[in-house]
Amino acid sequence: MLVEMKSIRKVFGEVVALNDVDFSIEKGRIHGVLGENGAGKTTLMNILYGYYQMDRGEIKFDGRSVKIHSPQDAIRLGIGMVHQLSTLVPEFTAVENIILGTEGRRLSFSIGGERAGILKLCEEVGLSFPLQVKVRELPAGIKQKIEIIRALYRGARLIILDEPTTFLVESEFEQLLKSVKKLIDQGITVIFITHKIREVLKSCDIVTVLRKGKIEGQIDRSEMDREKLVKMMFIEKDIKITESALPRVQLPDCPRSASPVLSVQNLSVEAGEKGVGVYKVSFDLYGGEILGLASVSGNGVKELVRALIHPSLVKEGDIRVKGESIRGLSTLEVFARGVSFTPEERVQEGILIEGTIKENVLLGHHGEQRFLRHNLFINWEEAGKAARKTIDEYGVYTPGEDFLIKRLSGGNIQKVIIGRAFVSPICLLVTHNPTVGLDISSVEFIFRKLVEIRGHGDAVLWVNEDLDELMMLSDRIAVLHRGELKGIFQRDQFDKYQIGLAMIGA
Amino acid sequence: MAITPKAAVSARSGGARTLSRALPGIKVYGIALSVSFGVIAVISAALGYSVPEVLRTLVFSSFRSFAGLKSTIKICIPLLFTTYAFFIPAKMRFYNVGAWGQMLIGGAMAAVVALLLADWNLPPVVLIPLLLLTAILAGAALAWVAAYLKAQYDINPIVSTIMLNFVAIQSVSLICTARGFMDPTGGHPQTKLLPSNATLGFVAGIPYSILLAALTILLVSVLINRTRLGYEINAIGYNPVAAQSYGIDFRKTLMLSFCIGGALAGLGGGLEILNIHNRLLVGFGDISGLEFGALGILATLVVGENPMAVPVSCFLWSVLLVGADRLQRTMQVPVELVFLLQAMIVLLIVITRAKLSAKR
Repeated sequence: MLVEMKSIRKVFGEVVALNDVDFSIEKGRIHGVLGENGAGKTTLMNILYGYYQMDRGEIKFDGRSVKIHSPQDAIRLGIGMVHQLSTLVPEFTAVENIILGTEGRRLSFSIGGERAGILKLCEEVGLSFPLQVKVRELPAGIKQKIEIIRALYRGARLIILDEPTTFLVESEFEQLLKSVKKLIDQGITVIFITHKIREVLKSCDIVTVLRKGKIEGQIDRSEMDREKLVKMMFIEKDIKITESALPRVQLPDCPRSASPVLSVQNLSVEAGEKGVGVYKVSFDLYGGEILGLASVSGNGVKELVRALIHPSLVKEGDIRVKGESIRGLSTLEVFARGVSFTPEERVQEGILIEGTIKENVLLGHHGEQRFLRHNLFINWEEAGKAARKTIDEYGVYTPGEDFLIKRLSGGNIQKVIIGRAFVSPICLLVTHNPTVGLDISSVEFIFRKLVEIRGHGDAVLWVNEDLDELMMLSDRIAVLHRGELKGIFQRDQFDKYQIGLAMIGA
Repeated sequence: MAITPKAAVSARSGGARTLSRALPGIKVYGIALSVSFGVIAVISAALGYSVPEVLRTLVFSSFRSFAGLKSTIKICIPLLFTTYAFFIPAKMRFYNVGAWGQMLIGGAMAAVVALLLADWNLPPVVLIPLLLLTAILAGAALAWVAAYLKAQYDINPIVSTIMLNFVAIQSVSLICTARGFMDPTGGHPQTKLLPSNATLGFVAGIPYSILLAALTILLVSVLINRTRLGYEINAIGYNPVAAQSYGIDFRKTLMLSFCIGGALAGLGGGLEILNIHNRLLVGFGDISGLEFGALGILATLVVGENPMAVPVSCFLWSVLLVGADRLQRTMQVPVELVFLLQAMIVLLIVITRAKLSAKR
């Protein structure tokens, strides 16, 4: 055994994240760690990598008992980790990123010499990428390769990939898999953390399933099948699961409104700090319709969504809501027209982190007459009522509306954000990756909510990187690549491969 | 009846939670104060002073005589205004370190207008509000410059407000030595006395400005907790990205919070001139060699978030300042010792608070 973790226990506040977990890894295999969000996969691996300290338990590496107090300790042992979000310095090149932190052992070093070493390493494991381009300009798949090489360069013999496919499209995943297989040929061990059964079936030699902080079981490749993994992941839930481990929600027939609720005409938006802008995009979205917007991160979707709620960013073209142009309106005026919005980054963009639930529910509605007195004072009684209504209707698990929102779980925070979108009547919901990082019952809740809005004859613009989700619940899927509209697929033409190709611009 | 999860959670949230919430606070202040006073005791013992005498003088000078209490209040009033000048923008996580300059320019402009209008003989009910309004506008204008530079050119307000402090300091010197304004008989750069219709009086030795200070406490508390602007200021402080995504105008809120802060500092300066000094003089924004702007930052740092805690904090700082002054005069203990104490208290409170919150 390369690694043995015994009776690992970790408690966060009142939540038992890992409850006496035993976990061991054999050398030279792709070892999957499967479980839904919140099952404890990442926590377990973060303990192995020294990010968290376990409350109790023992770790053996290569048969020796070891104490891992920090990632430095883990790196010294030969453990490397590639996180879900890139940890590369965007302004540095690949070479600079790879040698960052290793050059301190000597007084002087030559980048040229290091580069040669890196090239050799890349050749050995069969990975290639541009070494001299600033990382910020590279796509997610390449960044991952750089992170893998960075770990190898530090002498890693065990590499942990934390949800590596989150920002990859299908073809990039295939490529990653090829690279991983080459690593295995070199005698390197790979841990593959994921919540997608399909990916496990495709790639892993062995899989360990975690559920609610406990090991549910371990299965070898020869005995793996979908039904078995589904059962282990979601044992007690009465939620129907689809092929791609999503909660199964039906999209009933629903009449489409005669005129579009949202009409985007020839829209161009200036590029933001990173990524690209939007170029001459046109589409209509009708009431009683869910329009999926599929795109790889950094292809202008963020800019498009921002322009919808901050019309001052529109450079050219027009956005009409129920036939009226919103150009020149402020965000609050756009909201007053019945547009509602949930942002991509739940915490960073979505909530007032240090505020209470009440303050958060009010956000975006603080200009509405019902929440104001004499246009100057906040009507906190009304705000409290709205917050209590959100808590009750959406089942937010909290002692009350004056509770700090940062103390809630991700799923509960998302419920507040979604609930806030419906505090006042709406005709259009713009929602960006609403299900990322949520457990299966929260995902099901959000799916049902989207279908319900559509059933009311309102419109949903659903921005999502997960094609499986989009294909299940969209009436149409529009694809954006490098800021341009690559086409709109009708529901009867949905084809994962074709849409995936459009997403990477092929 | 089944207990819902909600009820179960709130059942626990009674008195026990109030106490467990208050405890870290008590711990922070307890550790900081006892360590700081301990160090002061050790140093003063090493310097050969009687430790109980030093501590008693330091803490109780304000309360042993009415004169002591009066001087405490006189320090507390301007300090309250400069503290709010820092406190309000700090709610947005932007730092107005220019309260000193805003106070100076407010006082200076009030004095200039009073001297220019000296021959008009306006009745006090007209003149005094006019002068205070001048002070408010002058302070707000100086703060506006910093806010505008941030909003338009993304210049850090810490830098611009420090620079504007120099502008204000030199303006005061310039006015105090300008022909027509200067008092040629004074040994110190200062202007002529203001006409009597431009000055405020005392009641039982306490300046009338205390009324405006009390009103300010009330208004700031309403502003922060009850108004839409207060909500927007808080929201940006909680998370500027989310606040802007949901339609809060960052620039407008920044400008307003800085201008309100500057206005309060300016008003504080105007009141100092009209009520205490009755003329403009160089150094009116200092107390025992410390300036009121920096003291306001200290007073804010120790209270954290609650606007109603500001007056308490200001009063306690004033107590220490009066004690320091008394130590120097009666026991010849260097006043620097007390400044050391103050710096230590603030540092320790900030450090222990950070440590405790990191643990949670």
